[in-house]
Amino acid sequence: MSETMGNTEVLKTADLKKRFAELEVLKGIDLTVDKGEVVVVLGASGSGKSTLLRCLNFMDLPTSGRIIFDGKPVGAIQSDKVIYSEKELIGLRRHIGMVFQHFNLFPHMTIAENVMEGPKTVLKLNRAECEKRAMNHLEKVGMTEKARAYPSQLSGGQQQRVAIARALVMEPLVMLFDEATSALDPELVGEVLDTMKAFAEEGMTMLIVTHELGFAYTVADRVLFLSAGKIIEQGAPEAVLLRPRREETRNFLRCHGSFRLPEPEV
Amino acid sequence: MDYAWDFSSLLTNGTMLLIGLRNTLALWLTSLLLGFFFGGFVGAARYARNRFLNWPASAFIEVFRNTPVLVQIMWFFFAFPILSPLDIDAFTAAALALTLNTTAFAAEIYRGGIQSIHKGQWEAGQALGMSYSQQMTRIILPQAIRRMIPAFMNRAVELMKMTALASTVAYGELMYQAKTISTISFNPIEMYTGVGLIFFVMIFPIALFVQRLERRLRSQADT
Repeated sequence: MSETMGNTEVLKTADLKKRFAELEVLKGIDLTVDKGEVVVVLGASGSGKSTLLRCLNFMDLPTSGRIIFDGKPVGAIQSDKVIYSEKELIGLRRHIGMVFQHFNLFPHMTIAENVMEGPKTVLKLNRAECEKRAMNHLEKVGMTEKARAYPSQLSGGQQQRVAIARALVMEPLVMLFDEATSALDPELVGEVLDTMKAFAEEGMTMLIVTHELGFAYTVADRVLFLSAGKIIEQGAPEAVLLRPRREETRNFLRCHGSFRLPEPEV
Repeated sequence: MDYAWDFSSLLTNGTMLLIGLRNTLALWLTSLLLGFFFGGFVGAARYARNRFLNWPASAFIEVFRNTPVLVQIMWFFFAFPILSPLDIDAFTAAALALTLNTTAFAAEIYRGGIQSIHKGQWEAGQALGMSYSQQMTRIILPQAIRRMIPAFMNRAVELMKMTALASTVAYGELMYQAKTISTISFNPIEMYTGVGLIFFVMIFPIALFVQRLERRLRSQADT
């Protein structure tokens, strides 16, 4: 592969497998995410979507296969096995933002402190710099006014927007969203999706696990469909969502009947 | 019952009681501080995945939680000096027993407090790029310690009551002094009533404070 190719690929996996005891959750994933690309991962529950994301930032360690992050293979090979050093993984995670289904804000810190925590503890920036960065990112998600509030005083949608700011303030190379709207009341889903969409349009590289098909259709550059630990179909959203080739994909889409195509813009 | 109460003997023996009070507080504070301190390590060992840390810690905790404190004190006073080359006085024996007992209970409080924090909190710290110790000190402990405080204060109250058991090995704390005085001045009724009152005055405010603290923490958890 040429050097220039390596520069546009933020993330690449080669035959990635993950096994929990007897259960093989990922059965060989080959995935490439380019810089600025928005990839949506679809799949029924138990198909391995969340495990895939958790392997990509090494919260779950892959059983085999390789992850190449920003052009560099992660881990070292020792007698046919990939060995990961904790130090390397800690260093990597600061470049990979993650947003969780249940927000996981730190309840003992204010909103501003939540967003400042990464820059302060991990990046070791000085206080003024942390504050500047935090307020800047809170503004981007429209949460400046709640800077002094505590997470428990916010709605689920607001908490998730703060969680997005907390991840983005680290200025990661890629953002992972693990069912970021699944725990929200229906009326709060829109504000979070809008926030995500805004960052997608800014050119943020994103890998998104979601059940929001309308969102996938309008925001994704590429849609992957995962079934039983394998990518069985992928392509442009129009292709996968409107003309699925695989039976599993069709069944999945049928079960998510609420999906309607957005009205054509006039 | 027409017993004529006479508390004047308490005042005439005031110095002895004060010595008793001082000794009670000395035993209490020693066992409390050392027990809470070492409890952190035993709790960590109990929590560790390594079997060589985990198993001894569990055994230690279970032995001290499932035997009477009185037996522990007696053992350290009568049995321990014979088995070891050390010469042990009443204070050391009592302090050793109460410290280890408190260590065992404190270890469980630490472990329970840390395990009560949802694993999503660890993951959020991890995802930001924090090391294990950063996750622990910045995210987990600040939340866990707040939940532990009422349990620790209850433990402190229990320990205060347990110090009276040191009288059985002739350590001159309040209870022992009361017994000594009452055999000399024949006033067990006033003496034990007085000692009971002294304990109540020390313990009741703490108990009240814990109750209010628990109520406040619970209402915070609801919001």
